[in-house]
Parts: sequence; C-alpha cells; structure tokens
Amino acid sequence: MPAAPRLKDVVRAEEGEIYDIELSTDLLKANQLLAEENKQFLHEYGVKAIDVMGSIGSGKTSLIEKLVELLKNHYGIAVFKGDLTTTIDAELIARHGVQVVAINTGKECHLDANLVGKALKKLDMSKIQLLFIENVGNLICPAEFSLGSDKRVVVISVTEGPYMVVKHPFIFMDADVVVVNKIDLAQAMGVDVKQLEKDAKTVNPKARVVATNCRSGEGVEKAAEALGLLQLRG
Amino acid sequence: MQSVLEEARKHEAKKVKEVSLVVGNLTFLGLEQVRFAYEILTKDTIMEGSNLLIKESEGIVKCNSCGYEGDFKYEDNPQYHLPMPTLHCPKCGGVVKIVGGKECIIESVKLVIK
Repeated sequence: MPAAPRLKDVVRAEEGEIYDIELSTDLLKANQLLAEENKQFLHEYGVKAIDVMGSIGSGKTSLIEKLVELLKNHYGIAVFKGDLTTTIDAELIARHGVQVVAINTGKECHLDANLVGKALKKLDMSKIQLLFIENVGNLICPAEFSLGSDKRVVVISVTEGPYMVVKHPFIFMDADVVVVNKIDLAQAMGVDVKQLEKDAKTVNPKARVVATNCRSGEGVEKAAEALGLLQLRG
Repeated sequence: MQSVLEEARKHEAKKVKEVSLVVGNLTFLGLEQVRFAYEILTKDTIMEGSNLLIKESEGIVKCNSCGYEGDFKYEDNPQYHLPMPTLHCPKCGGVVKIVGGKECIIESVKLVIK
C-alpha cells in the first residue's frame, strides 16, 4: 500500500473522506495591517495622529476643540470626527478653521483602520502636521481596532459615575493618556476625581492621567503636554 | 466564513464538517454571540450544520524588567464584582506588555472532500 499523500498534495480524495486542514488565519489581522499602512502613510508626511476614544458625552469633542484652539497657531491641524450619524460635532470643530472630515459609521460602534484610511485620502496632507481622530463614543469596541495613530487618549468624565475605569479596564490599557473631564462637577456628582485617577494608574501605570474641565479649558494645556504636543510646537 | 469557504473551494470540498477557532479572552468577542451568528450565517451554505469548536486563549503579559510571562496581576477590591486586571508585573511590580489573548484564529477546518 502506497504511503498516504501529504495534506497539501491532495488533489482528488476519495468520496466522503474527511480532511483536517490547518489554517491559522488570524481574523483580526486585517485591521492590524491596514492600521500599519495608515501609520506609514502619516509618517511619510510627518503627521502625528492622536486617537481620541472615550465614553459618549464625556467631552471628546470639547477636548479636541480646546486643543485645536491651543495649538492651531503652531500646527496645521486636521480632525476626523467619528459618529454614527450627523455632522453636528464635525461642524463645531470646523468653526475653528481646521480641516475636518466627518466619518459616519452608520451603525458601527467604533472606527476601524479601513475607514480612517479612506478619510486620509480626503485630506490635504501637505498642510497638516497634527491629526486628531475622534472615535465613536464607546469604552469597549474601539480598544479592539487600532487605527494607525501614534497616541491614544481615553476621555471619561465624572458624570459617568465613579466606576468607569474598573468597569472597562481594557481600553485604559491601550491608552497613553487618560483624561478625566468635567472635574468642576465632581462635587455635585459625589465622585472622587483622585480615585478615578488612581484607578487609571492602577490599570495602566504607563499612562499619563490628566484632570480637565474642557468647558473652561482647565487642564487642557497639561493634556497637550502629556501628549507630547507642547515640546514639538516650538 | 470567507476564509473557510475559500479553503473549502480550494480543496473541492462538498461539506465543511468542523471549524476550530481560537479566541483570545482579551478580544471583545462574546462566544455565545459568535456561536449564534455562526449558526445563522452558515445556513444554506456548505458550512450549515458544521461543528464550531471554540478554544479560549488566556491573556498573557510579559515583563521587560524581570522577564515574567503569564497571567495579569489583578487588583482585588471586594467592592468590585470582578478582580480588575492591571499592567503591573505580579512578580517585580514593573510595567508589563500584553503579548497574548488578543487573537481570533481559525486554527483548522475539517472538510468532506468529494
């Protein structure tokens, strides 16, 4: 009896025979590869990209608006604004005179590298050095999809209660900077900002944690510094 | 499914008997939902009725300072429902990096060949 053929050599097998085939296909790799492409593309143009993630209504847009105000004389800035629908926030940011591309995901709860890649094609890359990518408000899914950014920020606010970090530890593990926003409301909410900061530090000792009030602008400069944006602008 | 059907086409399979997945427990994939979606999506394809085996792989962290490799250090605060995983090294307290548990891999498929 001839030796059994090796799996890969099989062309025709016998009727009804079952074959076991090793695949090792990583299904999440596709996004990873696209993210790498985005990163390379951005680096070719010398653009620093910051992925701003965070809960719904935590102040991601306000933080970006304040950072844009602070930095727009020093950088050419563009903003990608991820939302399920509407361009309300995109228009808010556009008032500051920077390039804005609204990314409407329709039903998806996060941005992915493919959508960001598409949006990159709409930018005049020669005019920018800094790109903010505002993710869809969500503390869960965005953690799974890297976009090709250099830094990731997670924004939470005291109005979401005292347990935002402990309930979603994984997104904080991906963060370079954690922003705790709306600290002016901490007392009214009965939320201890220090405890939130401590939780973030416990989950991710590498992350810089900054407390802000993005309405008044308190702490925004610190956030910019934590993101490495003040050193660069000189 | 695309990957499995592609593989089945390559081998001229008439039916897919079994699919083995490895899902890292640091992904945000709910296994119950994956099974539910699998059943619905495979309907009317050669994958219908096939067995879906799912192995969960654990999250693994690695410490650059002391070389530790293994499970997270957990912060066990009785106030919280579950111990909270952290990026502190359980051995030396240094900072660790996640090196495993974020994958979702089709490990193998069993095909019935014509």
